[in-house]
Amino acid sequence: MDHSRSWRARGLAAAGVSAALVLAACGGGGGAGGQQGSSNQSTQAAFNAASTGVVSPSDKKGGTLKFANAGDWDTLDPGETYYAYSWNFARLYGRSLMMFKSAPGKEGNQLVPDLAEAPGQASDNAKTWTYKLRKGVKFDDGTEVTSADVKYAVLRSTDKQTFPNGPAYWDGMLNLPSGYKGPYKTPNMNTDSAIETPDKSTIVFHMKQPFAAFDYLAQQPNTMPVPKDKDTGAKYRNSIVSTGPYKFADLQPGKSFNLVRNDQWDPATDPNRKALPDRMEVALNVNADDIDNRLISGDLDVDVVATGVQPAAQSRVLTDPTLKENADNPLSARLWYTSINPTVAPLNNIDCRKAIEYAMDRTAYQTAYGGQFAGGDLATTILPPSIPGYSKFDLFPDGPDHKGDLDAAKKSLEACGQPNGFETNIAYRAERPKEKATAEAFQQALGRVGIKLTLKPYPQGDYFAQYAGLPPYVVKNKLGLALNGWAADWPDGFGFLSQIVDSRVIRATGGSSNTSVRIPEVDKMLDSALTELNTDKRNQMWGEVDKRVMEDAVIYPGVYSKSLLVRSKNATNIMVTDAYGEYDYLGLGAQK
Amino acid sequence: MTLPPEVGAEAEAAVPEAVLVGAGATEGRSLGQIAWMRLKRDKVALGGGIFLIFLILLAIFAPLIVKYLGSPPNEFHQELIDTAGGTLEPIGRFGGMSWDHLMGVEPVNGRDIFSRVVYGSRISLLIAFLATLLSVAIGTTLGIISGFIGGWTDTLTSRLMDVFLAFPLLVLAIALAGVFPDQAFGLQGNQLRIALLIFIIGFFNWPYIGRIIRGQTLSLREREFVESARSIGARRGYILRTEMLPNLIAPILVYSTLLIPTNILFEAALSFLGVGIRPPTASWGGMLSDAVVFYTQPHFMFWPGMAIFVTVLAFNLFGDGLRDALDPRANR
Amino acid sequence: MFGYIVRRLVWAVLLLIVLSMVTFSIFYLIPRLGGATPETLASRYVGRAATAETVHLAAERLGFLDPVPVQYWHWLKGVLVGANYDYGAGVERCPAPCLGYSFITKQPVWPELLDRAPVTISLTVGAAIIWLVAGVSIGVISALRRGTVFDRGAMGIALAGVSLPIFFTGLIALAFFSYQLRITAPGGSYVPFSQNPAQWAYSLLLPWITLAFLFSAQYARLTRAGMLETMTEDYIRTARAKGLPEKTVILKHALRGALTPVLTIFGLDVGLLLGGAVITEKTFSLNGLGKYAYDGIVSGDLPKILGVTLVAGFFVIMANLFVDLLYGVIDPRVRLQ
Repeated sequence: MDHSRSWRARGLAAAGVSAALVLAACGGGGGAGGQQGSSNQSTQAAFNAASTGVVSPSDKKGGTLKFANAGDWDTLDPGETYYAYSWNFARLYGRSLMMFKSAPGKEGNQLVPDLAEAPGQASDNAKTWTYKLRKGVKFDDGTEVTSADVKYAVLRSTDKQTFPNGPAYWDGMLNLPSGYKGPYKTPNMNTDSAIETPDKSTIVFHMKQPFAAFDYLAQQPNTMPVPKDKDTGAKYRNSIVSTGPYKFADLQPGKSFNLVRNDQWDPATDPNRKALPDRMEVALNVNADDIDNRLISGDLDVDVVATGVQPAAQSRVLTDPTLKENADNPLSARLWYTSINPTVAPLNNIDCRKAIEYAMDRTAYQTAYGGQFAGGDLATTILPPSIPGYSKFDLFPDGPDHKGDLDAAKKSLEACGQPNGFETNIAYRAERPKEKATAEAFQQALGRVGIKLTLKPYPQGDYFAQYAGLPPYVVKNKLGLALNGWAADWPDGFGFLSQIVDSRVIRATGGSSNTSVRIPEVDKMLDSALTELNTDKRNQMWGEVDKRVMEDAVIYPGVYSKSLLVRSKNATNIMVTDAYGEYDYLGLGAQK
Repeated sequence: MTLPPEVGAEAEAAVPEAVLVGAGATEGRSLGQIAWMRLKRDKVALGGGIFLIFLILLAIFAPLIVKYLGSPPNEFHQELIDTAGGTLEPIGRFGGMSWDHLMGVEPVNGRDIFSRVVYGSRISLLIAFLATLLSVAIGTTLGIISGFIGGWTDTLTSRLMDVFLAFPLLVLAIALAGVFPDQAFGLQGNQLRIALLIFIIGFFNWPYIGRIIRGQTLSLREREFVESARSIGARRGYILRTEMLPNLIAPILVYSTLLIPTNILFEAALSFLGVGIRPPTASWGGMLSDAVVFYTQPHFMFWPGMAIFVTVLAFNLFGDGLRDALDPRANR
Repeated sequence: MFGYIVRRLVWAVLLLIVLSMVTFSIFYLIPRLGGATPETLASRYVGRAATAETVHLAAERLGFLDPVPVQYWHWLKGVLVGANYDYGAGVERCPAPCLGYSFITKQPVWPELLDRAPVTISLTVGAAIIWLVAGVSIGVISALRRGTVFDRGAMGIALAGVSLPIFFTGLIALAFFSYQLRITAPGGSYVPFSQNPAQWAYSLLLPWITLAFLFSAQYARLTRAGMLETMTEDYIRTARAKGLPEKTVILKHALRGALTPVLTIFGLDVGLLLGGAVITEKTFSLNGLGKYAYDGIVSGDLPKILGVTLVAGFFVIMANLFVDLLYGVIDPRVRLQ
């Protein structure tokens, strides 16, 4: 007879988990790729062709596109969604005041008016912004869209109890009356101090502080109109009313949904969209390796999260010339970096921090993230190349082979009084194999100059809330280094920098991505940039912020993220938009 | 008189009597001697046993072995990885197998797989052995007590076993391992982690041994020799120690040997979930978990997988052989 | 007998309550040992732009500000009589049994469990039938042909099956049979039986075989050992002496005796798997209870975890009960206390 007791343990061995965890993009709105491009420029199918031009251009209408998501959508509700791919995709079923142009490369970074007729008009020192809406735009049930619907959409997104996951720009910046809790809890409060709707097609925003880059705020999906009588709060995500060329059908939460043509969408009111396919089918919670295999075999058209293929498919794509020809390698406006926390001794001394900047092997960082194709390009600045205002500089040259300048590191160690190195801990998110590999790389590289690191994994759900982002915890547990990453909510300096270098976002109660930057001068520089209405001047100011932060050696930039994407065999008009660093979902067409 | 180990006693069953097959020779041999003779004849089990000894030696002498046959287990060798082509795969066939790296290197960081497998054996064996010890200790104690004393103690213990059996072990394991502070009970870092894993694996598996021993005890309790001991006036403690325990050693031994491979697999699964040993320390389960993502690099999955497989196989073969040897009813 | 069943059912209910309490405690009390406050707990369920106020609002909405026993009571009340869910623009009635709403997706848990249960049940029952039939047959044949090549070979493979981690076999099988050879369905192609029985079976074919391979090994060994034991019993000799055909002797008499432990294990296994074959489901992209549980655990989604814990616990308890009853039926020597 046999030992029977193994059951549960065996069941548990059976209950272990396949480690192919794809992490959804941690990024928000989008970023740009730094490549030249112009629309209607068709290119031969070659490696990375879609980053600069359009592959398989076509105006043919019809066909079905199949999308898959390795996890669940964060939410389809435009008032709460906060991921780049979702903002990219939302343009299919919603129209916001402004939107990123559906064009390849750098041109995709341009803001064009969508629901609005023209970009916003500033007044009162950039504190008040006015938009006029286009006429004739309708919801998918036939009712006309008015400015009240846009106002309602924005106001509902400020209800952070019902929608805790979305961006918080409006609630922080609009001049809302005190005690306002959103249209569900305080429906009768007068909110004209924040948003006025003098007539059916005019909407006026009043901000608390000047905000010169307002058009970027206006492209957020939470300005997509929501009809008040069809709003179901937290359940609206399952019954969205569309203003875009497609509307929802067969929505099964957590499983799948389809988009079909919205017959109420009038192309005459919409010069921005081609709306070629008849139908989109989206499957949720599909195994990540499966997605890759199906993309390669042609059973799937788009991996919608667009973080790139898994390592298994990566090696297939890179070693097989036919597959490589059909792949793209866009830069996204995302930086993978490591915070060097000055609140943890001896990193309070700038020279000790500089030692880390010099000693780390940047190529190992790149390799840990997936190499030059799937990981990214070596980074020496905080702003990625795709953000206007980026300038290339390197304050801590790491040697000709980029494996670290050990002499400079040792000199810095002596300068800070730790000639034989020191010990500290490095925090990372346990579920992210790339962060684990990077932490190990840090351990190896810094060990060369005597800096001993102990690895500390933490669950990613609480990483900022309770561990690396909780200042008292960081000090108590000596988290000198914390792996980090940031993607711009939208491709401009404010979108990229505000959440990671502004000391005022750091909370004693935790939760901020900024774990290490506390420079009052930088805060002032950020504020003055926001009053500068001249876009070029403003972008330059962001560049200066970048340099100033790097001077303090509180951030170690790792790589500018790139992803390896596989093109669909069925899709047409395949192009990468720099706005999101992904394929432009709005422009895609289908052959069948 | 001695009795054979009970087999398959899951529920609270009174098991059928066993027929003791005599040794045949005129000189009486103890069960131990009989078992040893049988075991020696069972080549397969013997093979398993020898392999296990080899494995234990490997684990003990790991640093020495790695010093001569491999590279330090945590050392990166990025020159052996294809960074130029961007695939980050080991250069060379079979994962970069060479005399320097007998099993090749890992993708992405180029660590020597051979030394990681050798060091990993320490972790896997240590945790499996100690966890089994814990399970057996608790299970045997509670099993004997509840089987022997009976009554309310028995009911209570059985219900307790039910709770443990129905328990969502996964939830507990992840929650505990995720939340446990880094320093506690005088241990820290990986030492604490290992202790925690031993606790989780060992503590929650005791009902299995517990139920078996309880079943055994229940049947033994009704035997004549126990009754006669009682009638003489022997106290409970004496009966437990001199009459019951020797008869229970056989099943304890057998099931322990069979529990160890299960625990090895269990630890591998927990490492998979990310609640195992902290990197960069190597463990077989952790290596497999890393390797699954790189399934186009079969060598990476192959070696730790093979290590687990062969170890578990050896334990199973040996355990089976041991059980057959200790069971006089098995016809040879 | 009836009294026994009633007592076991009462105990089952008690056990489920204990299970839920323990899960609750782990979730709330253990972080507290590490110094967590309701706000730190709630911070997992808000977006990355959340302010302290948002976190506090989330803590309030999710009930973290109440003492743990009170929260438990609310949950229990929901299970028994239902609860109300405030979705912002209105209030929705969640009828009993209301297992709460997911912290992350805001979907009600009970309907989701009902939706996913058929997948797990399909997977488990299909695989179970295969492994029982295959395992027992191989075991019987091995026992009858003891010592032959078939016996050694079969037991060898069985041992292999028992010694391989399933996360290994599952992935290899999928990569090879589904993507390389393309003879089985790729992951995620499950459709409910009611929708398309052929596609349903096709999509489950590889998962069934993979799971069955793992388990039938065990059953083959068990059956073989059981057969070897019963074949030496006196009553087999009697049956043969009576002149019964060999087939009857084996199948009707020997196998029956040997099957007792097999059935015990079978019940336990099925119960366990029904509670969540996490890895199989994850590897083959099957949206069953196991995957649901895993998603809940990694995202800290207590309602999901509680829901699956209860369902899993229920299945295990029922399986245990069924096996104990069956044991009593098959083996009259067992007295039910």
